[in-house]
Amino acid sequence: MSIRRSSGPVGALALALVLTGCGSSSDGGSDSASEKSGTRVFTADNGRITIPANPKRVVATGYAVPALIEADAPLVGISSWKRGEPMMNKEDLATYKKLKKVAGEQAAETNYEAIAEAEPDLIVIGVPAPVLGDIDMKRLKSIAPVVAIGPSLPSAWRDLSRKQADAAGAVKQFDAQKKTYDTKAAELAAKYKNVLPKLGLGHVGAYGDAAKGTFQREFNGSWGTNIAEDLGATYYGKVKKPGPGSRAVSEYPSIEELPAAFREADALTYSVNADGSVPPSVKYVLDSELWKNLPAVKAGKVFPYRYTEAATYGEALMTLDAIDESLAPLLKR
Amino acid sequence: MTVAGRASEAAGNRRAVPQTALLVGGLVLLAALAVLSMGVGARHVAPGEVVRALFDYRGTDDHVVVRDVRAPRALLAVAVGAALAVAGALIQTLARNPLAEPGILGVTAGAGFAVTLGSAAGLAGGRAGELGFAVAGSVAAALLVVAVGRGSPLRLVLTGVAVTAVLNGVALGLRLMLPDTFDLYRFWSVGTLAGREQASLSWPLTAIAVSLAGALLLSRALNALTLGENVAHTLGADVGRVRLTTLVLITVLSGAATAVAGPILFVGLIVPHLVRKPAAGSVPWLIAYTMVLGPVLLLAADMAARVLLPTGEVPVAIVTAFLGGPMLIWAVRRYGAGSL
Repeated sequence: MSIRRSSGPVGALALALVLTGCGSSSDGGSDSASEKSGTRVFTADNGRITIPANPKRVVATGYAVPALIEADAPLVGISSWKRGEPMMNKEDLATYKKLKKVAGEQAAETNYEAIAEAEPDLIVIGVPAPVLGDIDMKRLKSIAPVVAIGPSLPSAWRDLSRKQADAAGAVKQFDAQKKTYDTKAAELAAKYKNVLPKLGLGHVGAYGDAAKGTFQREFNGSWGTNIAEDLGATYYGKVKKPGPGSRAVSEYPSIEELPAAFREADALTYSVNADGSVPPSVKYVLDSELWKNLPAVKAGKVFPYRYTEAATYGEALMTLDAIDESLAPLLKR
Repeated sequence: MTVAGRASEAAGNRRAVPQTALLVGGLVLLAALAVLSMGVGARHVAPGEVVRALFDYRGTDDHVVVRDVRAPRALLAVAVGAALAVAGALIQTLARNPLAEPGILGVTAGAGFAVTLGSAAGLAGGRAGELGFAVAGSVAAALLVVAVGRGSPLRLVLTGVAVTAVLNGVALGLRLMLPDTFDLYRFWSVGTLAGREQASLSWPLTAIAVSLAGALLLSRALNALTLGENVAHTLGADVGRVRLTTLVLITVLSGAATAVAGPILFVGLIVPHLVRKPAAGSVPWLIAYTMVLGPVLLLAADMAARVLLPTGEVPVAIVTAFLGGPMLIWAVRRYGAGSL
């Protein structure tokens, strides 16, 4: 199911509305439990839902797919999630491929009959609240309890993925992944403590639009920056006119504004694809003479980041390694 | 020189001086707008700095913006504006239809269809791919329309409408089935001059320049056609050759313009109407005026596109559509559709 930063129309609409639309409770979701009935009340984007205390057959869609695969949740069906494939480890990728696909990349491609055939006792939908309009919730609810836990701010993946794992009764494995991530992040933060915190950084995201002559500038808390922040990086500045969702932490100025955006930057980072290739929107920036004129670029302090779409701790571990590999030259200067 | 040519020359001499003055005035306005347009945008650059960037380049950020971003964009606006306006004048003259515009030959629909097809096949992702498919689609659609409808202007127009409808319908079906294709197309389908400065435009711009020269050379022969085919024959014009050459020029001009900037409507329709009065029935003057007013209109629209919204640019095709309708109504009310 297409939800985050999708270039598709549904995804674009979702992104534009995501912050206002996502009403996920911040209380962790699990509100009350009933040992006798084996159910509990869970607060999600779609309200307070009574779900099994220990679900045995879970269907996951959207962002819940990688989160619940990593958490070893008892999945019986998932939506297609091609964008996450490059960030899955071998074991998770095998699980992902083996699981029955009950929905496509777009929310509108939900196969209700396939979901019913999977006989789930819980359905976890990981799409932003506005995209829920593309889903026949009434029909889904007739199959099993439905909890919608979709993305809001980019950096909120930490809380959201935990909430998804919690709903599916798979917090144990989730917490183990989180611990591994926290340990690795702390190690790298110590490694870069004499370098990174002193730098004013700027980041070029992959979602600018060369056809419109714009680039994406990402600030603290955005997809391309939030994991580097765990290492002590700071992306200075703030969005001129904040919008909902990712627009609260990134903006899309004209290429002519490159000097104003990054002239003060000590170093610059930019998003690349998982295979290291440069997306067209970023290449448009890198090929610009205005980019080549920037002090940080002239000083050679330019670093690509892979895996900037990470939205689970397992994926974020890959991002940490990629950032470490990219920033390593900073330690030699 | 043919009889038609001599008749045209005699009529033209009576108004040559004021018409020439008007043309020179238009060129001065065009030059001023071009300089002004290089100062307007997300980053303000004073006109004096624009001139220094062009003639005394120092490599400052202002100079880079002017030389590397805005000058290519202004050049593109001039080329696309001239191409669409002249293509409009040619098709209106040839079809003797005041509502004719370059898209009537199926050029825009052909380009859109080919971009859709290329995207569906996964081949039109980048700018070069889009450009290639748009050119191929424009030419193929125009060839089909000309081949089927070459018998008469009415037949040509009807064939163009039919082919456009079919291509648009099939392309729409593909886009509805393929979300990624729809996504790519929705960006392409709203014509803009932004973000083109790094693309290789030498071939399309050369094709436009050569075709504009060809239109000027052909304009005298077209004068005879405005009197009707029989009269044109009598005056010694080779009607078939003139018509075919005109169709080729329209195809190249509108195809190249659409390929590099996407569909920009109204310029080809409205500009010939705006200059029909001063052209006074002379096709050479009509072509010359449209060649200047088209770029003026597109440059002005492109500047407006950059400053209209505080949040960012509006695609220039939206501005031309927004301005084009009222301007056309004004022109028709003031001058009438004029003699075609």
